[in-house]
Amino acid sequence: MKTANIVVVIAVILIASTIYYLNNKKPVTHLVEFTAPFVFGRFIIPPNNPLTMESVLLGKRLFYDPLLSSNNQVSCATCHKQSLAFTDGLKTSVGVSGIPLAFNSMSLVNLMWGPRHFFWNGRSSSLEDQALQPIQHADEMGRNIDELIVDLKNNDTYINLFMLAFGEISAQSIAKALANFQRTLISSNSRYDQYLRGEITLSSQEENGRKLFMAHPDTKVTLRGGNCIDCHSQFLTSGFSTVFDGFSNNGLDNDQTLKAGLFSLTKNEAHRGLFKAPTLRNIAVTSPYMHDGRFATLEDVLAHYNGGIKRSKTLSPLIIEADNIPKTQNDHISLNLNDNEITAIIAFLHTLTDEEFLANSAFSNPFIAENNND
Amino acid sequence: MTKSTTLTVIFGVLIVTTLTTVWLRALPQNLTLRFHPYVGDKPLVLYDQSYKNPGGNGDFSIRDFQLFISNIVLDYSSSSIKEPESYHLVRFDDNTAFDKIIIPEIKIQNLRQLSFAIGIDKKANGTLVISGDLDPNSRMAWNWQVGYKFLLLEGMLTVQEEQLPLVYHIGFNESYTELNFDVSNEKISNNGVIDFKIDLLRLFQINSSHLNELTNQQSSEVIKYIDMSELSHVKFSPDDVRIIAKGFHDFISIL
Repeated sequence: MKTANIVVVIAVILIASTIYYLNNKKPVTHLVEFTAPFVFGRFIIPPNNPLTMESVLLGKRLFYDPLLSSNNQVSCATCHKQSLAFTDGLKTSVGVSGIPLAFNSMSLVNLMWGPRHFFWNGRSSSLEDQALQPIQHADEMGRNIDELIVDLKNNDTYINLFMLAFGEISAQSIAKALANFQRTLISSNSRYDQYLRGEITLSSQEENGRKLFMAHPDTKVTLRGGNCIDCHSQFLTSGFSTVFDGFSNNGLDNDQTLKAGLFSLTKNEAHRGLFKAPTLRNIAVTSPYMHDGRFATLEDVLAHYNGGIKRSKTLSPLIIEADNIPKTQNDHISLNLNDNEITAIIAFLHTLTDEEFLANSAFSNPFIAENNND
Repeated sequence: MTKSTTLTVIFGVLIVTTLTTVWLRALPQNLTLRFHPYVGDKPLVLYDQSYKNPGGNGDFSIRDFQLFISNIVLDYSSSSIKEPESYHLVRFDDNTAFDKIIIPEIKIQNLRQLSFAIGIDKKANGTLVISGDLDPNSRMAWNWQVGYKFLLLEGMLTVQEEQLPLVYHIGFNESYTELNFDVSNEKISNNGVIDFKIDLLRLFQINSSHLNELTNQQSSEVIKYIDMSELSHVKFSPDDVRIIAKGFHDFISIL
């Protein structure tokens, strides 16, 4: 009897430990190998979400799947189209409700670098946190996350992909997969990149535009500048990554019409009207521009900085001060660039278009590829 | 308890405390350099607080203030420690009272002198090396042909309701300024903290108290300041940069 009891106890322990092991077994995954220019600098991948091939494969499928929306018609890719550098060409995006959203769709590129806060107003501090917000937003994808998980658990393809990547289907693993797919969206083969690598030379007009882009004007030393560098870093062309340095009030509105911007996150009055400086990578294909898509063309954008600036309490002193002619009065804020300089800056901005990125099959819709194979 | 017993207890506690302090200081511990921003004798409060233009009319407020502290060296009586990758961006956000640099696990006992520089040395300033807080894609980078801003100070001067932007982006190799501090034990707290004051007004000083310290003369000269409205932006003009960077010598002091 005593021996039988011991055998039963051992059997129970073995069964329990086997169940525990199977439930907690981590899938065998493989890290993504990628390259990026060293001038992009340090990047951050969260320790709890390693960049694995399995999670990226899953994330890509989720990104393109309208199953993630309440009416099964809207996917992440609806507002983030690869050919438009993952923007949608609209003034502000439109989701399941049909009601135009408050913001213009942001380009998804080189997201491992640049500001650590996402969305135009910085309301999300990680790609993982960001990923679930549009899915659950009533006007964007309007999906109940628990119902989505039930649907995913009824889909053999997803069961397999989630098991391989994370060993489970959960809101957390959905977020991790989407974040990791977005991390792989690296654009580093534009003409500007080729120029930086010494492979090509820019035309004289593009080179003039590059110099203007990189300079804050200083009339005391006759340095002419487009002042772009004060908000857009020299290599990434995004906003800066440290604290909230990547956010700025660039004079779109006066105090009466100023939107909350970063203030909605920090509740700091000094941040009212500050919005994220977006990457300018592929900027020629991501019109319209600004957080509310108010400018249709790059010419409109340059015209804004060349005389359209509106004063407000939090307007950047750098924008007020930047002028290519000695200031005689402070009422009218303008860079005072001439037409040739404006054209040159726009020519340089076109060198940031990365055709390879815009057509890279690694980032494209997997459902189309599957249908073609059928 | 008799009087002599009481004295013995007090004496004993004092000895134990002293020995413990000496013992703790002999152990490796973190050395924390805390930098407190000031405008004259007033703590700097960003955005909301106004300060008098030291050399002219009007009041100014500061929106952003950042600077590079680099190449920290700790000197002992017979040795010295040079911090590796010693490039620290000291910045003040959301009205935090101070920013700090922590040098981990060093011997604080017998520390004689502390040295560091304001700015980036010529070698690092002329390359795209990513070391410490150096980041060529940061707000402190101009572009790869110019190097880094050593100090960024931005704000607004209001004179009779007219607003004048203040932009001081101070860089260039010539502005790199090394500072030395005598740090005998009483200047370091028991938990290994040295408090520094960064006084913005020193940047706008016309006559330097540093010269008086060098000559060890007590000066009765009244300190004169630059009118900020006359020098509201300094970026690439070497003469203007020199005027502001001269203040780096007196910019930081031990509190």
